Amino acid sequence: MKQTVEMDKVQHNMRPGCITLKGLLGEDKRNLVDILIEDEGEVIRLGTSHKAIAERMQELRDSGVEGLGESITIEDRYDVRVDSVRGLLPCPYEDGTVQKTFIQVHNRMLKRSITYTDLHIHMIREHGFYEGKGSSFRLSPQDLVEILDVPPSCM
Amino acid sequence: MLLALVISIGAMCAISAVLAIIMVIAESTIGNYGEVSISINDGDKKIDARGGKPLLTTLKEANVFIPSACGGRGSCGLCKCKVKSGAGEIMPTELPWLSEAEKADHVRLSCQLKVKGDLQVEIDPALLYVREFRTTVVGLVNLTHDIKQLTLKLDDPNSMDYKAGQFVQIETPVYERTDEPVYRAYSMSSVPSSKNTIEMEIRLVPDGICTTYVHKYLKVGDKMTVNGPYGEFHRSENDRHMICIAGGSGMAPLKSILYDMREKGINRKATYFFGAKSKRDLFLLDEMKQLERDMPSFTFIPALSAPDAEDKWEGETGLITNIVDCHTEDLSNAEAYLCGSPFMIDACIVVLKKHGMPEANIFYDKFS
Repeated sequence: MKQTVEMDKVQHNMRPGCITLKGLLGEDKRNLVDILIEDEGEVIRLGTSHKAIAERMQELRDSGVEGLGESITIEDRYDVRVDSVRGLLPCPYEDGTVQKTFIQVHNRMLKRSITYTDLHIHMIREHGFYEGKGSSFRLSPQDLVEILDVPPSCM
Repeated sequence: MLLALVISIGAMCAISAVLAIIMVIAESTIGNYGEVSISINDGDKKIDARGGKPLLTTLKEANVFIPSACGGRGSCGLCKCKVKSGAGEIMPTELPWLSEAEKADHVRLSCQLKVKGDLQVEIDPALLYVREFRTTVVGLVNLTHDIKQLTLKLDDPNSMDYKAGQFVQIETPVYERTDEPVYRAYSMSSVPSSKNTIEMEIRLVPDGICTTYVHKYLKVGDKMTVNGPYGEFHRSENDRHMICIAGGSGMAPLKSILYDMREKGINRKATYFFGAKSKRDLFLLDEMKQLERDMPSFTFIPALSAPDAEDKWEGETGLITNIVDCHTEDLSNAEAYLCGSPFMIDACIVVLKKHGMPEANIFYDKFS
């Protein structure tokens, strides 16, 4: 796959200072298309799909909202806290805005935690984007699958 | 062959040099908007500035502070103001934040609007009294595992006039997580009579630039810059029963309001519901008990949604919405003050309305 002109524009939106202070690419100097291809390969290797990962993230987020900003226990093994800070964030693909909501999930069995946002859920579901390597908010597909117990799925 | 190569390289260099000169000239002519005049609130204040920067920045440089929670990135929508003339077309980056009524009313996002000529601006007159303060950290105390109480002594100017319930913006300086200063808003928990000192309760946000700085880098004796006061969240002057509801660092403005009432001898009926997950998330319990003794019409009801077994908790248990629901009857003549997570506030509003509280009597300070 080649990097398209549209992808150039999206990649520009991901640079520091455009949407977030530090941008969404971290130290990753590759073309966006190469970042997407590598993560897609990783997701296939893990036997799941972007949609399945995003749905699991959404499921825990929606259950966590019931804690009204405090941490609650879900499925007897996750401590989930969902909260928001002021504002909205536009998606770099320019297909909408989402609330600045963050979701902290601690898996008690594995003793591992992960934090993600509504923007992550949207970007993974719609675009298969997990942020560039070295980005403060980069999510590794493997961490997501392991910590959130994402079920197997076809791409 | 070699001559042709040298001529080609020379030609390329010459073209590059010409382009660079054109860019420099363009920068100093097309991009130079010269001196501009900004009239605020029909001439109550006038600013002469150089054009070319966003309105938010231009005003800040003239010591007029418009609250912004995102540092001018157009992602919080907080820095709206009315620009009655000179603004030009609305930028695409402003559109998600403006309703049709606001567009018709000349409301703009001041961080996205570049100053290119004279402007007539209308802002909340209270913002003209907002000042920037140099301060020193004199207290940094752990209230819970993720909430710190930060106390700042005001150095210059050395006093602030504010109402209980208002907030300030803290400037996080450049440090390893940010290459430029970042501003975030926090409610003050101190009593307005302590004019030389302000206090805040700050909860750690995962990877948050400002909260991480306060929790992991800031030390007593450090210097900080804040600006304020801001906000319309404060006690209204009447005798209605006050229903106060908070969670986490939402304690801050309510503590300020209640302490202010005690100091002024206002013995108005007030019930304060405070929600937390377990005992380690509770704080200021002794202070609230003392407040109950000092103000006979005040009741404090802490509630835990999921106490740990070792907590040996004998108080209220459940989500704060259920606790409010159980403890209240007709609220048609009461009013509510809510501060905390947007999810908590939205859920509480539903419960309060179910008990007959008019929406106009519900005041809240959402963290969103």
